[in-house]
Amino acid sequence: MRSATQARIGDAFSYLFMAVMMLFFTWPLIWLLSLALRSRKEIYLGVARLIPHEPTLANFSAILSSSQFAAYLYNALKLSTLSAIGCLIVALPAAYAFSRFPMKGKGGWMMGLLSFQMISPLVIMIPLYRYMASIHMTESHIGVTMVYIALAVPTATWILKGFIDGIPASLDEAAMIDGCNRFGVFWRIILPLSKPGIASVFIITVIAGWSQFLVPFLLITKDALMPIGVGIFQYAGTQNDSSLQVLAAACLVSVVPAIIAFLSLQRLILGAMTAGAVKG
Amino acid sequence: MSTVASVASAMPARAARERSDARPALWLLPLILVLGLFYLYPVIDVFRYAFTDITLLGKGETYTLASIAKTFARPELPQILWVTFVFTGASVLGQQVLGLAVALVVVRGESRRLFGATLLRTTALIAWVVPGVAGGIVWKMLFNGAPFGGLNSILRLIGLAPIQWLSDPDTVMWSVVIANVWRGTAFSMVVMYAALKAIDPVLYEAASVDGANPWQRFVHVTLPQLRAAIMVNLILITIQTLNTFDAVISLTNGGPGRATEILSLYTFNTVFRNYDLAAGAVLSILMLVISMGLALIYAKFLPRESRS
Repeated sequence: MRSATQARIGDAFSYLFMAVMMLFFTWPLIWLLSLALRSRKEIYLGVARLIPHEPTLANFSAILSSSQFAAYLYNALKLSTLSAIGCLIVALPAAYAFSRFPMKGKGGWMMGLLSFQMISPLVIMIPLYRYMASIHMTESHIGVTMVYIALAVPTATWILKGFIDGIPASLDEAAMIDGCNRFGVFWRIILPLSKPGIASVFIITVIAGWSQFLVPFLLITKDALMPIGVGIFQYAGTQNDSSLQVLAAACLVSVVPAIIAFLSLQRLILGAMTAGAVKG
Repeated sequence: MSTVASVASAMPARAARERSDARPALWLLPLILVLGLFYLYPVIDVFRYAFTDITLLGKGETYTLASIAKTFARPELPQILWVTFVFTGASVLGQQVLGLAVALVVVRGESRRLFGATLLRTTALIAWVVPGVAGGIVWKMLFNGAPFGGLNSILRLIGLAPIQWLSDPDTVMWSVVIANVWRGTAFSMVVMYAALKAIDPVLYEAASVDGANPWQRFVHVTLPQLRAAIMVNLILITIQTLNTFDAVISLTNGGPGRATEILSLYTFNTVFRNYDLAAGAVLSILMLVISMGLALIYAKFLPRESRS
């Protein structure tokens, strides 16, 4: 009886905590949506008009119909997708080698790989900016994509190695007895069986690429080549309180694709992430 | 040569076969090239810059130790380091404590089938995928000092005075920490959640048999079991927080004055606004050293069995 009451009280506190935390996590985005749906005169009414009296989609249509923002979104999609593909091309063979080949000090190499994450992108961007400028690779999507790949590849290799570890090595051996060489095993056995791992690494890298700021901020100054992260930063710098509703709409447009991409594969991504974090 | 051959022939057929076509270098080549070109070589060059008087504008550079001495003698450096320390410490503490609390409640909610436990996890993760720049812009709107700001209008509604979230130098750091904790908590929550799920339920049963109350179970079972996960998590989120850049440049740009100019932002300004490449190199080495030093200190506290 006593423990049942105790559990009931515990439930009440759990609900209270959950409600407060949910409000904390969602309030910024609710506020963003509220502002984005307002007309200019309702902006100054604060939380009293959380649900606007005259909701309007004019701000969204202003953003989505501007060729400037269309280019920002297209550039971000292009850079993040290309870099995710490139990242897989580099990381997959390495992950296979780390998983299957006998190697001296493999644990050390894997830890070394992880320690690249310690290096701030800012540190490597200082010399990279100079190299890129000297070979005229600034204002180029190829240069930016290459840096994105480098930034994403350590985590990707780590996650994929964990995933390939889960595929029984007996399958490799059976295929080799049937006359497959290493590449055949990799291509016909490992890749098809790693599809979920490949999908989660792809989405994680796309989301990371979509969120990139520093690299394109330094390497790209032409408006037509900017991805959304830089575009919205520059745009925010030119706005004031009277155009808050348009900035809110623009911000929402930049945030929603990342959220949708994440929610579509939430379970897979979390699985891949925790496997890496707990093992690491 | 002959001994190698004889050893090889003495090995079982399968092992020999594996040895013969196992050429890891070939498979690792793309990775080595990418990391070498875009990480190792630039990092080595950063160390070289630190011993020169190089700038972003000039052509020639000479080798000197003066840049290092001058950078460490900069009068604003202690203030920058203090701001970085407060920002990192408060953010890491907030993310760890809140991440653990949310994970505990989600696990409890799942086991007692409370409504909304999974929803809470998802809302935290949504905040986490918001790009840093966008997060900074969103919080700038919330922290708007005007009466119609996203937080000040709530305060006015419940009859409190508005707060100058971003323009008061004594308040602004806490505003930046709140925004950073908002975005970062989900990561700690995910790590803590996975670690909580991995605790053997038998331990809790044994504790209950011994008459431990919920608080004692938390202190004597949960926390010791989480120790390794907490240490790993602290390493990861400390480095992430030290490297935070886009969320702060879009929220405060370091201001007002230098109240929120963390080391990463200061390094950026040194190189790309003052064109002082040598000083920037010294500062980025300082960032690296701090990250590595902290990681090593945390690693010392790792339980022995999980250190390998």
